[in-house]
Amino acid sequence: MAEQSDVLAEPTGRDFSIRSIINNAGIGLALLGLILFFSIFTEHFLNPNNITNILTQITINLILAVGMTFVILVGGIDLSVGSVMAFAAVVAGKAITLPGFGPTEVILLACIAAVTAGFVCGLLNGLITSYWALPSFIITLGMLNIARGAALHVSDAQTIYSFPFAFEEFGSAQIYGVPVVFLVALALVLLAWFVLNRTVFGRLLYGIGNNEEAVRLAGHPVFWYKVAAFTICGLTAGIAAVVYMARLNIASPIAGIGFELNAIAAVIIGGTSLSGGRGSVIGTLLGAFIIGVLANGLILIGLSDFMRQMITGVVIIIAVILDYYRARYAKK
Amino acid sequence: MVAVQPIGEEISQETDNLLSVTGLKKHFGGVKALDGVSFSLKPGEVHALVGENGAGKSTLIKVLSGVFPFDAGEIILDGAPYTPANPHNAKTHGVQVVHQEFNLLDHLSVAENISIEAMPKTRLGLLDRKEMNRRARVALDAIGLRDVDVRATVQSLGIAHRQLIEIARALQSESTILILDEPTATLTERETKRLFEIVQSIKAKGVTIVFVSHHLNEVFAICDRVTIFRNGKTITTEEISDTTPTGVVRHMVGRKLAEEMEHGIEPHARGDVALGIKDLCVTQNPHDAGISFDLHYGEVLGIAGLVGAGRTELLRGIFGIDPLRSGTIERDGIPVKFSGPRDAIAAGIGFVTEDRKDEGLILEMPIAANISLANMHNVSASGLLRFFKEKQQAREGGKRLKLKYGKITDPASSLSGGNQQKVVLAKWLARNPKILILDEPTRGVDVGAKAEIYAILKGLVREGVALLIVSSEMPELMTLSDRILVLADHQVKGALERSEFSEENILKLAYGQNTNAEGIS
Repeated sequence: MAEQSDVLAEPTGRDFSIRSIINNAGIGLALLGLILFFSIFTEHFLNPNNITNILTQITINLILAVGMTFVILVGGIDLSVGSVMAFAAVVAGKAITLPGFGPTEVILLACIAAVTAGFVCGLLNGLITSYWALPSFIITLGMLNIARGAALHVSDAQTIYSFPFAFEEFGSAQIYGVPVVFLVALALVLLAWFVLNRTVFGRLLYGIGNNEEAVRLAGHPVFWYKVAAFTICGLTAGIAAVVYMARLNIASPIAGIGFELNAIAAVIIGGTSLSGGRGSVIGTLLGAFIIGVLANGLILIGLSDFMRQMITGVVIIIAVILDYYRARYAKK
Repeated sequence: MVAVQPIGEEISQETDNLLSVTGLKKHFGGVKALDGVSFSLKPGEVHALVGENGAGKSTLIKVLSGVFPFDAGEIILDGAPYTPANPHNAKTHGVQVVHQEFNLLDHLSVAENISIEAMPKTRLGLLDRKEMNRRARVALDAIGLRDVDVRATVQSLGIAHRQLIEIARALQSESTILILDEPTATLTERETKRLFEIVQSIKAKGVTIVFVSHHLNEVFAICDRVTIFRNGKTITTEEISDTTPTGVVRHMVGRKLAEEMEHGIEPHARGDVALGIKDLCVTQNPHDAGISFDLHYGEVLGIAGLVGAGRTELLRGIFGIDPLRSGTIERDGIPVKFSGPRDAIAAGIGFVTEDRKDEGLILEMPIAANISLANMHNVSASGLLRFFKEKQQAREGGKRLKLKYGKITDPASSLSGGNQQKVVLAKWLARNPKILILDEPTRGVDVGAKAEIYAILKGLVREGVALLIVSSEMPELMTLSDRILVLADHQVKGALERSEFSEENILKLAYGQNTNAEGIS
């Protein structure tokens, strides 16, 4: 029965991505529908300034969601990314305000500090979760508190500000109306897509999410792959911290509260299965857009922030229900 | 007591069937569980249903007892069309099943279990314990279980007694047809004998019995007729007096597999010791003594034993999946330590696990990805996947194993059981292992694929690969093995050479001196 499609699929060698495109088509259509709806019913939605606005607003969530995709693909979850981001920001804020260095040096130092802080938190999440085979839900809930406490401790609960001008410039720079920070996020999406779809590492992450035991019995160090997934998630929290600082020119220890939930929502709306093994980072990109467009459009339409939150919640539930039917369809 | 009941009068020779099934079909998605089943039951006979695992016996029983509806065909019971809507409906028609897995409530008493379907009540609507116990007593006495106290909890009884209580429960309501699904699977020889006496006495009361078993000697001991299943179809029904066990096996497995099995493994050169196991103790082993054996290149070593004998645990220990308590493993004469499957694989060992859904395959991933799972180095360069190479490897592996698939990128779940197993084999064969460990290599595999898998394994041995095979199917072990080790309770109870192979010899060793312990548990 599959003879014709066989011929079609043979020469391209890309059925993996073709399938993921088909899987993502539904989410893409939903996003298109939203854009269409808001374009018709609001005056300013398609205004270039508003588009720039949306892109800026979704950037941090998108960066966090890319890392979250790795963790959810191996069947885990990371509740700590919001706090880790704040912790990384505060550490970077301390570095950037160090006296006696030139602006380029402190900026570099701050970036390294933020990414390192994120890396360490992610590594710890991964090591503890994998070594004792504990639910990542609980471990990262612990890390959520640890990182938040550490952020408050390091900063003495004070917001850090007055960064070099070049840093602020990076945060507000645009290329043809597209924020540079968004391009950073987009680059991360593409990199993640490449890693997940084109490398042995990515393939085995999918494998672990589907059937960890089979991957282990095939001789792969499942332990380290899972640690790597959590570490990547921590890393993206560090990168998000840099972007956050550059955009707002502050490093606040109470930044990022609840960001983990938005990141998870983007991943789930994007069609990645919470039980792991199925999904794609392209879906996550679309998911982040759906959340961003909804938030922006509903405000333009005149709904209150409370209503907006309710509607986002409804969208998450609908996404999961759709995922249930997709999984059933895939089984047939 | 001698009762050949309501039949007597209206019997002509041919149309006296109590139950007749014609052209019965039942599909689950694309899987044809029943694909044209026809057979009939004469009143008061003991009728055997035999066939390989997955041949359709269990599905038929579930259809007859109202668990599944059927898609096509006809069932006539007592001259009227019979379409049981649910198990209760089947029971009211007098069709009772004693299932393979127990449906007893362990913490309740024997009496409570027997009356569970219709508890007797007092006038106030309370449980009438006295009446319940009385009924249970009657039910147990009817099958000769006079020594069991009806107030005892089921938990306190041995496996054999539990089985008999299931039968007592089934017989308590008026049944015309009693279906016994593998009733002897967990019984010792002595208990089996007792069960057979009970079967005979039930038969004498005019109840028609359907007996499902893997053991042909049992079928020949107590049955009147036998219907043979293969791949969801009934092949034939024969009078026991007109056939032989060999004839039945031939029908069960089909011509091709029969040939594979009759030829056994041809004589071949045995090489050096590939794997030396010395006093290996897995953590589950309750004894101090471990297991020792040598596996040679170009040799098939079969491992037999009952469920719980420690066969799978041994294999997992060797492959480095579970930690070992003590003992050494020598590979080509050099002591090695496998701290995980990775080390074992690096030493040229492959492991086809018992459970392909949980351990062998990633069902949702493409066939090609499953085959490359243990061969990432073949299909990648500096960590990047080479999709072309991956497909090429999968196609070559598929060709070698006669894999039947739609597209090589279809998910593994799209394949039949036999073809899924071939994918697992292909995964390991692509590594050219020196030693291949197989745990139940043909479980849930249809007979066609089974014959092909046997042929593949024989081919591997000719190439000098060392095979270590665990199987619960004795004919399979006797076909493939050069030697068979029999395990019981994590100990080697004996080793049989080819000339000594027989089911009887294997079972004797497998039950060992522990017959009593096994039975009463």
